[in-house]
Amino acid sequence: MRKTYLAYLIVAALATLPWVVGGRYVFHVATMITIMIPLALSLNLMLKVGQLSLAQAAFMGIGAYGAVLLTMRLDFPPMLSVFAGGLLAAATAAICGPVFLRIKGVYFALLTFAFGQIVNLVFQEWTSLFGGNSGIYGIPKLSVFGMRFSTTQHYYLFGLVFCAVCYVALRLLERSEIGRIFQALKEDETLSRSLGSNALAWRVAAFVGSALIAGIAGGIYGFYIGFLSPDAFTFWLSVDLIVMNVVGGATSVLGPVLGAIFIVPLPEFLREARAFQLLIYGVVLIIFLVLIKDGLVTLFERRKPG
Amino acid sequence: MVYQMLMNGALAGLIYVIMALGFTMIFGIMRIVNFAHGEFYMIGAFVVLLLFGSLGLPFFAAVLAGGVAAAVLGMVLERLLFRRLVHDEMPGMIMSLAVAIILKSLGLITFGPAEHTVPRPFTGTWQAFGAVAPWDRTVVAICALIILAIFYLFLKHSRLGLAMKAVAQDPETASLMGVKSGQIYRAAFGVACLLAGLAGALMAPIYNVGPYMGEMPMLKAFVVVILGGLGSILGAVVGGLLLGLSEAFLSTLLSPLAALIASFAMVLIVVIVRPNGLLGRTAR
Repeated sequence: MRKTYLAYLIVAALATLPWVVGGRYVFHVATMITIMIPLALSLNLMLKVGQLSLAQAAFMGIGAYGAVLLTMRLDFPPMLSVFAGGLLAAATAAICGPVFLRIKGVYFALLTFAFGQIVNLVFQEWTSLFGGNSGIYGIPKLSVFGMRFSTTQHYYLFGLVFCAVCYVALRLLERSEIGRIFQALKEDETLSRSLGSNALAWRVAAFVGSALIAGIAGGIYGFYIGFLSPDAFTFWLSVDLIVMNVVGGATSVLGPVLGAIFIVPLPEFLREARAFQLLIYGVVLIIFLVLIKDGLVTLFERRKPG
Repeated sequence: MVYQMLMNGALAGLIYVIMALGFTMIFGIMRIVNFAHGEFYMIGAFVVLLLFGSLGLPFFAAVLAGGVAAAVLGMVLERLLFRRLVHDEMPGMIMSLAVAIILKSLGLITFGPAEHTVPRPFTGTWQAFGAVAPWDRTVVAICALIILAIFYLFLKHSRLGLAMKAVAQDPETASLMGVKSGQIYRAAFGVACLLAGLAGALMAPIYNVGPYMGEMPMLKAFVVVILGGLGSILGAVVGGLLLGLSEAFLSTLLSPLAALIASFAMVLIVVIVRPNGLLGRTAR
């Protein structure tokens, strides 16, 4: 596992890169990476219980709109709103989860797809609350202990802290007994149920946790960008998160982190056209699915026998 | 009013059936959820835009060409990308997402993000029992019925159709009987994409044509197959008509968004009460 430390070193070096290179734009891309890493991790948590969730973008949207509206309409302090938005997303998952996860696998993917589309349509159509396709403007800045986040660097630092918290939490979870239960559920549900684990409850717990992370990331995004519209939270964002997991390697927690670092800056080289960006994502995804099945993370891991 | 809603529901529902049939067939035979199904619908529509809208070829020739184009592309992609993932649900889904992204981006690159209009080959309306139906939608519905009838005869009476059903029910026994699974996968993917392409081609003059046009029909197809039972042909027919009718009633009485939310609620209820769908196989 020596090589894992190498990966940590590389990630840490990349994290300081924006200060070396400098410039507002570099910090913007870096901040977007720190928002996408927790989202990719939230999808990874669902993959750990063997389920493909296509609702992560919707949870991000619920967190983002929830947080921003709590501050703009009810005068919540922005920082509190970010976490309240996350809780809102988690509560939604807690309500839907027991139904969605009754039937697993393909049905779960289809149900979360439909859920995501409908949440997005609600953002578009309920104009009095969500502002419709013209969106919500004039979102105030975040602040901690009276200090306002006035530059991109502040958001970047905050994003880094949140990434680290999510990563450590998921890593601890993976190593704990719960991690083993998740793995058993993924590999042989009947067997793990016969050993007394409540399959549905653990899956719902993973779903709620992943929605919480996605919701908080959404809140940070909302206050950072300062403008919300439904097209930031479409199904295609959920697909981007899948691309990050496949490219980085979904079997490890480090995988989605590497995936996000690799994937998020990619379209910046061809900023002009969303079309070419999609094309590259698709081609990269197929290359990894066919040729590099376990993702970038394999570069840093001992080859497992067999 | 009731007749009008029944009519609207049947006209919409028939297209949902065509979309859902192909989708459910690919799943039933290959265990692959095809997220690119809406993109094959888009391809059919783009072919009509080119051949009928720009070059002025006869409408039905353009529709057929649209279906065939989608089918050929589907068969090529099946051989190159999907064959290796048959019966492997998660990677299969992700591969279909990759294909969906690529096809959509190619649509965006070739035709731009804007929506194009295709001139209507049929205009005017007709009436029955006080309900008014536009001719263009009626022609689509008649074509959908013809497609359904041919599809039914194909499954029931052709060797290939029977072999497909055999593979869907029990791949091992089917292969013992000399059915070559590779051929069946190619044929199933081809027929499914043919259906999606025809649906898109038929709908091209009714809705606008653009790279994002496949998303809504795909969402509807998902709803239909969960309602009817994934992998069930009869379920797709019943589910499609049910969805078309319920939407027609609710969007007339309430709003289109309410209808969509209600259809999702309907899906959730089916999931709770009958997890394998209204007509899905219970043994699992």
